[in-house]
Amino acid sequence: MVVLGIETTCDETAAALVERHADGTGAILSNIVLSQIEEHAPFGGVVPEIAARAHVEALDQLIERALYDAAIPLEEIDAVAAAAGPGLIGGVIVGLTTAKAIALVLNKPLIAVNHLEAHALTARLTGVAPFPYCLFLASGGHTQIVAVLGVGNYVRLGTTLDDAIGEAFDKTAKMLGLPYPGGPQVEIQAEHGNSLRFKLPRPLARRDSADFSLSGLKTAVRLEAERIAPLSPQDVADLCASFQHAICDIVMDRLTMGLAYFLTHYGKPTALVAAGGVAANQSVRRALNIIALEAGAKLVVPPPHLCTDNGAMIAWAGAERLALGLIDDLGASPLARWPLDTVKHTPQPRSEPPR
Amino acid sequence: MRLLAIDTALAACAAAVCDTNGGIIASESELMARGHAEALMPMIARVMAKSGISFDQLDRIAVTVGPGSFTGLRVGVSAARGIALAARKPAVGVTTMTALAAPFLAEDDTMPVLVAIDARNDQGYMQAFSTGGHVLLPAQLGPLRTVAMLKLGPMRVIGSAAKRVAELLPADQVVASFDRPAPDIAWVAQIGSAGSADNPPKPLYIGTPSAKPPPASQLLRR
Repeated sequence: MVVLGIETTCDETAAALVERHADGTGAILSNIVLSQIEEHAPFGGVVPEIAARAHVEALDQLIERALYDAAIPLEEIDAVAAAAGPGLIGGVIVGLTTAKAIALVLNKPLIAVNHLEAHALTARLTGVAPFPYCLFLASGGHTQIVAVLGVGNYVRLGTTLDDAIGEAFDKTAKMLGLPYPGGPQVEIQAEHGNSLRFKLPRPLARRDSADFSLSGLKTAVRLEAERIAPLSPQDVADLCASFQHAICDIVMDRLTMGLAYFLTHYGKPTALVAAGGVAANQSVRRALNIIALEAGAKLVVPPPHLCTDNGAMIAWAGAERLALGLIDDLGASPLARWPLDTVKHTPQPRSEPPR
Repeated sequence: MRLLAIDTALAACAAAVCDTNGGIIASESELMARGHAEALMPMIARVMAKSGISFDQLDRIAVTVGPGSFTGLRVGVSAARGIALAARKPAVGVTTMTALAAPFLAEDDTMPVLVAIDARNDQGYMQAFSTGGHVLLPAQLGPLRTVAMLKLGPMRVIGSAAKRVAELLPADQVVASFDRPAPDIAWVAQIGSAGSADNPPKPLYIGTPSAKPPPASQLLRR
C-alpha cells in the first residue's frame, strides 16, 4: 500500500510517499522537505506565526512535487496521513486540514498520526526493528525515553521537565552569539574547546526516574559566561565543549535509568533507537553507543534526514496504522499537546450513525 | 458555473454548493467561536452528498481568505487548496469584506458601505466601499474610533463591529447599521464565480507577525 504523509508541526513543511509491503518492510518513494530555517534565523528560534503562514502557502505545491517525484498520481494512493500533533497548532491545522480534504475528495482513508509516534516507528521503515525497543527522542521540541511495545502501544518512561535538549543547544548558541539553528554550531565550536574548563551541573543525576531537566544547565552556562565576559572565541569554544560534555553525561545517566526500568518491566529491548535532530550530534551518538553496549542492545540511528522532521515518517506511521485498521474520521482534532501514551491502538468501533 | 463555497473566517462555519444560474443547491452554516478545524470537513462531506454533485462536476472552489480569525483562515484556505489539489479544480479567494458588503451594494449601490469586523481590544478590520462598489477606504486593521475621524459621508455600516462603530460616528453619517457575524455563503460563491482563478487563495492577514528579532549577544568581546 502507498501512503501520502504530511508533516507541518514545526518549521519544516514536508510531504512524502511511502510504500509498505505485505511483509512489513517499507520503501520511500519520495520525500520532500521545505525548511523554514531562513525565515526564522533572524529571530534565533522558531516563530509560530511565521511558521503557520509559510505552511499554508507551500504545502499543496510540496505534495504535487512529492507525487511527481514518486511518479504516482494522487488517485492511486491508498491513504493519506498527516501529523495531527503535538506541535505548533497553526501548522498542525494546515497539514491535517489538507489531508482531510484529499481524503474526502478521493474517498481514501485518513490517518491522523501522532508526530512522536512517527519518530518512534521510523526505525522500522529503514531497517528491521522488532518490538519491543527503547526509543530516545531528542529534538528542539521533544526529549523523551519511550518503550515502544507495538504499533500504537507506547509507554513514556521519561520526559523533560522543562526545556528540550535541542532547545538547550539552541538557547546556549543564541546566548553565545552563534547563528540559528544553534545545535550544529555548538558542536562545531566544541570541537576545539576544553570540555573540562567549566564545572556545569548534571541535573537529576542518578535520580530514580528517567526524566530530564535542562533549564538549570542552561542557566549555569549563562552565569559562567557572564562571570568571564567579554568572551573571547576560545571562551565560547570552551563553554560549548563543557555544555556538550554535560549533555552527554546527562543523556547517559538518564538513559541508564530508562533502560533499567525497561528491562524490569518489558524484558530486554531489541534495540536502542535514536531519533530527532540531537541524534545527529556525534558526541551524543558516542554516548548512545556506550549506553547501548552496556545494555547489550543494538544502537539504531536512522539517517539524519529521517531523524529530523520529514513526511516519510508520517506516511510510514500511517501505513503501519492502516495495516492494523487504525483509521480516523474527518472530524479528527489538531492537537497542540498529545502525549504518546494516549495514542489509541485498537480499532475504534464505528460510532452509531446520528438518528 | 458550479461552485463549492467555504467560509470559516469569522464567527461561522459554512459550506455550500451553488450554481450561479440557479442559486444554492445545498448548504449548511453554523455559528461557532471555535471548532472550525473539526467541523468543516464533515460539513463539506454532508453538503456535497446532499447536493448530489461530485467534486468532478464542480467548476471552482471559493473560500473566504479574511481578514478574520487566523485559525479560521488557515482551516478554510487549507481545505480549499487541498480540495483543489485532489479534484484538479481551481480555488479562488474572496475577502470577508467584499462578501459582507456585496449584498448591500447589490441592493443599492448609490449609498456607501463601511464594513467593520471586530478584532478585539477595541480594534477592528475596516473597509469602505463607495457608490458603484469602488474601494473608498482600503482594508485595514486599527482602533475602531479612528473611523470617527474619517469624513466619508452618510453610509451603511455592516459587520460584527457595526453597532459600536455606528455609535462612534456622528448621527448624520450613519444611515443604518447591520450586525452580521459572518458573510452569507451564497455571496461567497457569487463573488468567487467572478474574476480570474489564476492565483491560489492566500490568507489575508493584514499586518505582519509581531515577533521582533532579539538583540545581539552582549557577552561577546567586540
